[in-house]
Amino acid sequence: MDLQSIEPYSILDARGLTCPMPLLKTKKTLKDVPIGEILEIWGTDPGSKNDIPHFGAKKGNAFLGFVDDDEGYTRYFIRKG
Amino acid sequence: MASTSFWSSLKEEARRNYIAVFEQEWPTWLAGIFLAIVALLIFLWQGPWGVAAGYRNLGDWIVYGAGGGGDRPFSPWLHPIALTNTGLVVGALVSAMLSRQFKIHRAPPLEYAKSLIGGVFMGAGAVLAAGCNVGGFYTAAAMFDMGGLAMMAGLIAGAWIGLRYLLWEMEHLQQKGVEQRPSNDAWVKIQPYLGGTVLILVIAAFYGYSLLDKTDLGGLLFFGLLIGLIMHRSRFCFVRAFRCPFMTGDAEMVKVVAMSLMIYGMGTAVIKWAWIQEPSMGVTHNFWIGSLFGGVIFGIGMLLAGGCASSTLWRIGEGQTKMVLTLLAFALTNSALASFLKNHDLYDKMGQGLFIPDTLTWYVTVPSFLLFFVFWAFVAIWNEKSEKFVVF
Repeated sequence: MDLQSIEPYSILDARGLTCPMPLLKTKKTLKDVPIGEILEIWGTDPGSKNDIPHFGAKKGNAFLGFVDDDEGYTRYFIRKG
Repeated sequence: MASTSFWSSLKEEARRNYIAVFEQEWPTWLAGIFLAIVALLIFLWQGPWGVAAGYRNLGDWIVYGAGGGGDRPFSPWLHPIALTNTGLVVGALVSAMLSRQFKIHRAPPLEYAKSLIGGVFMGAGAVLAAGCNVGGFYTAAAMFDMGGLAMMAGLIAGAWIGLRYLLWEMEHLQQKGVEQRPSNDAWVKIQPYLGGTVLILVIAAFYGYSLLDKTDLGGLLFFGLLIGLIMHRSRFCFVRAFRCPFMTGDAEMVKVVAMSLMIYGMGTAVIKWAWIQEPSMGVTHNFWIGSLFGGVIFGIGMLLAGGCASSTLWRIGEGQTKMVLTLLAFALTNSALASFLKNHDLYDKMGQGLFIPDTLTWYVTVPSFLLFFVFWAFVAIWNEKSEKFVVF
């Protein structure tokens, strides 16, 4: 899947936040995303590269991948299952 | 031709190993084993590994430097735990640079405030418990001091309270993300060379201490460097062992810390039982009032700050600016509260060390210790599936 062309249902801006806030906010925000829709998360915490993919692949959700943006943050994509 | 082939083969192998060690993240279970081994080496080398006393030394110096009076504090260059802590920060810095990941991270204002308040809580909790998540829990438990287990109970309770606060904060306080400056390409390319230079300087410092007939202190600086390297490469965080069972149900860090403690504890049992080190060594924690309530306060603080005593240090090494506030608040609070309690004869009322084998004998203590941590891991694994303790 081409991550750059994904149109997410919503975007969570967690830039500058550190563990555990990006994961905590991801979990909370994902609750409001309809099944089948995609949540995009913007993060800068290096720990998120482990935490978010691990969490995003649980509970029937699908972690679609992440891309490092030129602006110094990482974009993560989770499809709600 | 043979020589060219040998060197190209060596170069290729070195490149592949460099990628495996410094570009790929280490699994936390491996870090748990390494950490227990280094902690045991420190125990054999000098004494039980701790962190909070190094923070206090920093706090004492800030108070003394600001004209707060009192005796001149112990020199940080001759203070065993301050040196280990210095090694930890530098080890994480070296690791971050060798993996081209060092970057100044900025945080939203609320995060800086929480880092400061979290540091105050942790500094206070570490005085009451006579140690932090390392000295008061990890090492204390491995030394078979009952205070370590009492602090563990407190940390679990504190993590639950801290997480409830974070959930409240998410509902009631809005904060926007903060843009970060993208890393400059030249800066990224030069990092491994800078990291390698710092590593050579630390090794030189070890030999420098040896020349001054202080090899023991040079060794502690080097052990600290190894811990910083291990923790940064694996992003080893004790907080996750106490927080994740309530937050996502994830049991990974509980399993890792439990396994690490079993290795550390069994190594300690061999060392103490064989009298290689004094059996009562490291049994100095405030069981049970100080350990339990100190653990609760420390647990709240580590959730607010987003890091414990050890992870605050390695996160500073990778460039997390907000953790510098945690370090300073922890150090000053720890120094001030310790002085207050001692000046008012309150410190002794917090409890005293209880060496478990003195009560249960070694024969009962060793299997009980193992079973206890196996039980903790199994409860966490059961919770991962059932989510019984997950709070939202």
